[in-house]
Amino acid sequence: MKKIFAMLLVAAMVFALCACGSQPAAPAANQAPAADSDLAYVQGNGKLVVGITDFAPMDYLDASGNWIGFDADMAKAFAESIGVEAEFVEINWDNKVLELNGKSIDCVWNGMTLTDAVQEAMSCPAPYCNNAQVVVVKAEVADQYQTVESLAELNFAVEAGSAGAEAAADAGLSCQEFDTQARALMEVQAGTSDACIIDLLMAGAMIGEGTSYPDLSYTVSLTSEEYGVGFRKGSDLVDAYTAFYKAAYEAGTVMEVATTYGVQESIIPA
Amino acid sequence: MFLTVLNSLNQGFFKALEIFALTLLGAIPLGFIIAFGSMSRYRVLRYPVKLVVWIVRGTPLMLQLLIIYYGPGLLLGNNWWGGGAAGRFTAASLAFIFNYACYFSEIFRGGIQGVPRGQREAGQVLGMTNSQIFFRVTLMQVIKRIVPPMGNEIITLVKDTSLVRVIAVYEIIWNGEKFIKSSGIIWPLFFTGLYYLAFSGLLTLLLGWIEKKLDYFKV
Repeated sequence: MKKIFAMLLVAAMVFALCACGSQPAAPAANQAPAADSDLAYVQGNGKLVVGITDFAPMDYLDASGNWIGFDADMAKAFAESIGVEAEFVEINWDNKVLELNGKSIDCVWNGMTLTDAVQEAMSCPAPYCNNAQVVVVKAEVADQYQTVESLAELNFAVEAGSAGAEAAADAGLSCQEFDTQARALMEVQAGTSDACIIDLLMAGAMIGEGTSYPDLSYTVSLTSEEYGVGFRKGSDLVDAYTAFYKAAYEAGTVMEVATTYGVQESIIPA
Repeated sequence: MFLTVLNSLNQGFFKALEIFALTLLGAIPLGFIIAFGSMSRYRVLRYPVKLVVWIVRGTPLMLQLLIIYYGPGLLLGNNWWGGGAAGRFTAASLAFIFNYACYFSEIFRGGIQGVPRGQREAGQVLGMTNSQIFFRVTLMQVIKRIVPPMGNEIITLVKDTSLVRVIAVYEIIWNGEKFIKSSGIIWPLFFTGLYYLAFSGLLTLLLGWIEKKLDYFKV
């Protein structure tokens, strides 16, 4: 009895190992053409999987639970232009490169700042939107921190790997890193950090009346930057996107969508 | 607003409950299998099983989640989980089942080996077969012995479900935290603590009740 049981277990383990070993071989043959053309791969799937986070006004949920926003609407239009449907997946922002390379998403389209690190890890077409990194402090002390020089003594909270973190490093500010911009903002509210550096668009949406941060305000703009879409390294979706954006800009749809979400001032022409 | 938050937290809590239930359902039987493997008198079986238990217990569950979900796509070039919610959930459940089975296996091993040899010998004297001895003599005593340490693991499991957010499975903390990003409201995040407290309180009562039920014999 015990012997048979032991042999069964060994057999099961060997089988499991073989299964692990042989799995990659078969699909590799199927996917050989897909490796050449990302566009063909996406069209073969019939859907463009868009990696996003909840980030108004770029990607957020409407009352009936559909993803809307400037980025979401543009992503839907782009997917349509290549003959597929857009599927939105809310991802953990820290893992966006893992998601992209592991093919669990096909692009990152979420008000992503085109930092050097991002452009090294992804293929990014020309940016479509301007943004800035701003310093957020408690409103009662905002008057004291209106210049870059005045910031030296403060302890900053930033999102790890974000444009804000880069800006802080460039300006030689002392800072602590957190996993999201929202966490950095919470640090300031809780008084555990003096200030944080976040996106201007986000600061506009998250602080002030009606939020948990009515006593915060933003002061200095540290750097200006640009938002872009990220595709897999070397993907031919980049060309498809560039052609789509040019056509959509000339047809006026880009500005139309931008006006809907109040970001028309920031749009970069094709 | 309160209702929106509550609705979202409930959804996240049910997701956490699903993982909790699936993990227990899968990890208890698998844990017994691994326990027998690690007690086997055949080295070809015992050593690999011990190696696997060492690897799984020796690395963080968060890392295991990342490897199991992203590994196939990144290392093997074939993401068999897919990008949707179902694939993420399956990967998370498998990682949890495997991780917890390894912890459970050691508790089971301790429970089985802790039953005095005399019990087994008594069974043999009475002419019982090996499987009769295990199911009628050993197992009942094992169950009684492992209830307190299992209770520990089970309550840890409730809180560990919050780890699945690293691969974007929308459990309760994810759903609580998203209100900070979308509308700048902090309290839902801390409110999630009440769900954990209520549920682990319920489990504590249940485990206490089970212990009492098993009180009819002494080990």
